[in-house]
Amino acid sequence: MSTVAATAHAVHAHHDDRSFVRKYVFSTDHKIIGIQFLFLSLFSLLVGGVLAMQIRWQEGFPGQPMPGGKLLPETMASGGVLLPEYYIELVTMHGTFMVFFAIMLLLVGVYANFLIPLKLGAHDMAFPRINMASFWSAFVAGILMFASMFVPEGAARAGWTMYTPLSARHDLSGSSLGQELWSISIIFFGLSSVLGSLNYISTVINNRAPGMTWFRMPLSVWALFITAILGLLAVPVLAGAAIMLLFEQILGTHFFDPGAGGQALLWQHLFWFFGHPEVYILILPAMGMVSDLVANGSRKPIFGYHSMVFAICGIAFLGWIVWGHHMFVSGMNPTLGSTFMVSTLLIAVPSAIKVFNWMGTMWRGNIQFHTPMLNAIGFVAMFTIGGLSGIFMAATPLDMFIHDTYFIVAHLHYVLFGGSLFAIFGAIPYWYPKMFGRLMSDRWGKVHFYLTFLFYNLTFFPMHITGMAGHMRRIYDPTVYDFLKPYQPMNEFISISAFLLFATQIIFFVNFWWSLFKGEKAPLNPWHDNGLEWTLPSPAPHGNWETPPTVYRGPYEFSAPGVSEDYLPQNRKLPTDREPALAPAHGD
Amino acid sequence: METTHKHPPYLLIWLYLAILTVAELALAFELPISRNMKLLLLLFLAVWKALLVAMFFMHLKFERWNLRILAIIPVPLALIFIAAGMSEHIW
Amino acid sequence: MTHAMASAMRPPFPAERGVDVYNKKLGMWVFLASEVMFFAALIGSYVILRFGAPGEWARPGIVLNIKITAFNTFLLICSSVSMVKAYAAISDGDPRKMRFWLLMTIIGGAMFVGIQVYEYFHLVEHGFTPAGVREGSELAELVKDGTLPAATMGLYGSTFFTMTGFHGFHVTCGVISMAYLYFVKALPGKITPQDYAGIEVVGLYWHFVDLVWIILFTIVYLI
Repeated sequence: MSTVAATAHAVHAHHDDRSFVRKYVFSTDHKIIGIQFLFLSLFSLLVGGVLAMQIRWQEGFPGQPMPGGKLLPETMASGGVLLPEYYIELVTMHGTFMVFFAIMLLLVGVYANFLIPLKLGAHDMAFPRINMASFWSAFVAGILMFASMFVPEGAARAGWTMYTPLSARHDLSGSSLGQELWSISIIFFGLSSVLGSLNYISTVINNRAPGMTWFRMPLSVWALFITAILGLLAVPVLAGAAIMLLFEQILGTHFFDPGAGGQALLWQHLFWFFGHPEVYILILPAMGMVSDLVANGSRKPIFGYHSMVFAICGIAFLGWIVWGHHMFVSGMNPTLGSTFMVSTLLIAVPSAIKVFNWMGTMWRGNIQFHTPMLNAIGFVAMFTIGGLSGIFMAATPLDMFIHDTYFIVAHLHYVLFGGSLFAIFGAIPYWYPKMFGRLMSDRWGKVHFYLTFLFYNLTFFPMHITGMAGHMRRIYDPTVYDFLKPYQPMNEFISISAFLLFATQIIFFVNFWWSLFKGEKAPLNPWHDNGLEWTLPSPAPHGNWETPPTVYRGPYEFSAPGVSEDYLPQNRKLPTDREPALAPAHGD
Repeated sequence: METTHKHPPYLLIWLYLAILTVAELALAFELPISRNMKLLLLLFLAVWKALLVAMFFMHLKFERWNLRILAIIPVPLALIFIAAGMSEHIW
Repeated sequence: MTHAMASAMRPPFPAERGVDVYNKKLGMWVFLASEVMFFAALIGSYVILRFGAPGEWARPGIVLNIKITAFNTFLLICSSVSMVKAYAAISDGDPRKMRFWLLMTIIGGAMFVGIQVYEYFHLVEHGFTPAGVREGSELAELVKDGTLPAATMGLYGSTFFTMTGFHGFHVTCGVISMAYLYFVKALPGKITPQDYAGIEVVGLYWHFVDLVWIILFTIVYLI
């Protein structure tokens, strides 16, 4: 015990007399940093959504002037009709903002920061100042990326995947500064991500409260930990690639230039070697948080906790050797391609295990249909659909036909929106009380969920059909192809559903902002959950605990026998519990 | 209870590193060995030097086994990437 | 090595023994893992590009100055030794000796950077750039007379400057960190036998930078 007292830092949970700037702007408190990431990422989500609306206008109503289009400069829209050069910028920036600045920051920037120390019983992250640097680096990256949309010649134009030579040569893409700013922004983003990852990993390994063993950690923390390892090792490869691309753009290097002996395919290998672990970064934290939400909403322990942990590790491990499935039609070595097919089919197994375990958790549970649980159930269903379409793509001969079609667009939106975003829509109201001390409106949360679920499926499900019919990705005007003309009514339908989907999000944004000021004040533990964060006041104070709590059990003891409530917090000591033994320190 | 651990012989390691570097230079420029053999031997020598630095200067030899694993994890990933990229040129 | 390690240098809550290192050291090892991946992207690309190059690669020693670089390699290895001697000194309870060896390391590192920068100027002057060989330069003559292969000089320049440039950038960051450690922490006596985490952690980074150079020197200059 004296070890604990000696090592507990003296900074925390006392009268906080820092200035406003130190407390809320240049803060080293992981909770404030998490909230800063929340505002940055919600703004980016909005930007991504606005870009998507313009894309859907063009796809649904090609050649027609867009409402508000006359406000755009002539370089983007002529008489309100979007230009092809602008369209490809929209597609590129939509992907970039959504993947990096919305989903990654929402899942990792917000929840890794906010939840990890709280759920582990720590005062803060292992390196609070590096944490602050991580946020401001992401902020700079965001500014650069946003600015890149407004420079002469416009934003980057080679798709969020930036394939060379289109991305490397101004004479091919028509965009120079915008393209370069993309590379520079991604380098800053990469720095932010790596700094964050090293914090999360160090904190989980070293800063757990007494009794918080590895297999007593919540699945959200496991998922965030494994995600941090993926990010730590994959993002530097992206940074290296972005540096090489930048040098290709401004120094005239020849990495990707076949005319000078370079290899255009090298970019794809570099990008997807990062890119595949990246997509697991985009889903694993969501899976982890959904596990917490589903166990809580079912009032039952998670089914198969250990296999859930091993599934997360299995997905992360296999995720390193599947990247080639993004490149089946690139002209890569076919033998190499077939090894990727095998590994990709294998990776479906741990994901399926998780789906079955969520269903097993809900089976005969005392389901509470509140907003977080609804969104979590939505996640499980929609992620399953997204995963099933993934099986089609894993089979290389089939992928030959559906690569670069809307079938892929449907798949990625089912896993990223139907998956990650629904998980986020569940997580935000769930941990909102701990962040802000108030509750979001559950009634409007439910309205938001049902309408979003409806319009989201109406938007993205038909894309499976148009994709199978051959509708390509990223094309400006599908009606130039005779074989696509019969599908144009479906495109219109998709677009209108998308507009309604976007409009529905107003409900979420209003609920979020209004509740900040007028929401019902939150009690300590509104969801009757077991995690350590629910033992703190809402909102949680600077420094979290005076003395770290002691943990006696895992986080999913719902409806436990011998306890009168249907939940049993991790730090509540029962007469039958023993104090955890502290391990001997180095050298003793 | 204080214990004193002996340091590894840093100067001896420095000597090994110097010798290995000279060996590399000799191999690269003086010795009449076939190109492929040269490549293999040079890589072997470079990895040996790197291991000496990692094990003794970075004290990995004296840390817990799981820290050694943490340190080594990126290496197989890097090799997978390089192998895949190289395989593009052998079909 | 004595074990008068205070709270700064042991893991905060020993819930389990784990990797059994204090936070700063764990953080540095984790960071170094990411750095390995970063250099793997650059060096891996070099290997892939060279393996798949559409012609012969320039023979070692023609463009790059082996003598000076071999000396530089030796210098960096020596600075790694002086760094570990600084660590050994403070862990044995001798701050004065630690400060001496730290200063030696800074000088060695700064000299390395200086020599590299000098080499860069030299190379560019003779016509070797990241974009390849400059028209009308000395090296262009060597390409014309066949001493250097025209088909791969562009790749050679691109990969050489990127890999060694980023290594040099990392060395520079190391020198700056050590200078900060020396002037702001070591001189005022803030590094003690009870808390020398700074030395150990910066030392790890410095050895890593040396390790990367050991690989680079071999595969860029000697092969």
